[in-house]
Amino acid sequence: MALSLKPRGRSSGEPNIPTASMGDIAFLIIIFFMTTSIFSREKGLKIVLPEKGAETKIKSENILTVAVSQSGQVLIGDRIVSVPEVSSIVTEQLGKNPDLAIALRVSRRAPYQTMIEVFDQLKVAKAERVSLMPVQEEGQ
Amino acid sequence: MRRIGLKKATTPTIPTASTADIAFLLIIFFMVSTHFRTEKGLRINLPKAEMTERILKRRNVAAVWIDPTGRMTVNDNWVTPTAITAIMTERVITNPELVVLLQADKDVKYGYVTDVLEALKDARALKVTFATSYGKGGGG
Repeated sequence: MALSLKPRGRSSGEPNIPTASMGDIAFLIIIFFMTTSIFSREKGLKIVLPEKGAETKIKSENILTVAVSQSGQVLIGDRIVSVPEVSSIVTEQLGKNPDLAIALRVSRRAPYQTMIEVFDQLKVAKAERVSLMPVQEEGQ
Repeated sequence: MRRIGLKKATTPTIPTASTADIAFLLIIFFMVSTHFRTEKGLRINLPKAEMTERILKRRNVAAVWIDPTGRMTVNDNWVTPTAITAIMTERVITNPELVVLLQADKDVKYGYVTDVLEALKDARALKVTFATSYGKGGGG
């Protein structure tokens, strides 16, 4: 009897690695990375600062001063207002005078949150010309 | 002689051999085009603002962090406003499109923020964004 070296029962096909599920694995990895990655959290309120020494003179009747006091009270002109009122007042004033520039004067001791809320309200009112006035105070 | 009748009865298949290649190509593309943030920053709570908008060009962003007690970091180093001027002057020269993202805690006193703004004016880094999270502010 001739001894065959060929193992019995095995078909004489070429050996192959199954690649049918490679695509599934790859897409699984893509989806995993997509769900776990955090997309740009960089967001906020934009402002362009004026250049030093390039201050422009604006007529005083075209300036509306919005002030935030030490305790976080908001004043427009001489009137104390609440934060949500700011946008409607500013919108109204802008309607009367489109050239109006808004000077935001914030106390050094005012909470930043209040300043951002007021600035946000000015953005809601679509005020284009907003300037942040640096305030110097004693006993910082 | 007509051969129409000789068509073999095979089942139609969609070739799936290359889906894995496509998927891996996508993975590699995303891996190469993603850039990770290495800056840790400070533990802060951002103020909320309705008009929050995203910064589109992330590569132009330089962050300044201010914690509730008024300490500041840039690139995870403690800095003073004078140091901010020095750092930002250099970075504005290399990238004139630089946007400074001011990551300040909502409870910080505004004085620290205005100091940073003055420092940025000195550095001629005039594009500033106040980092905020989207949402209605707490109100007055």
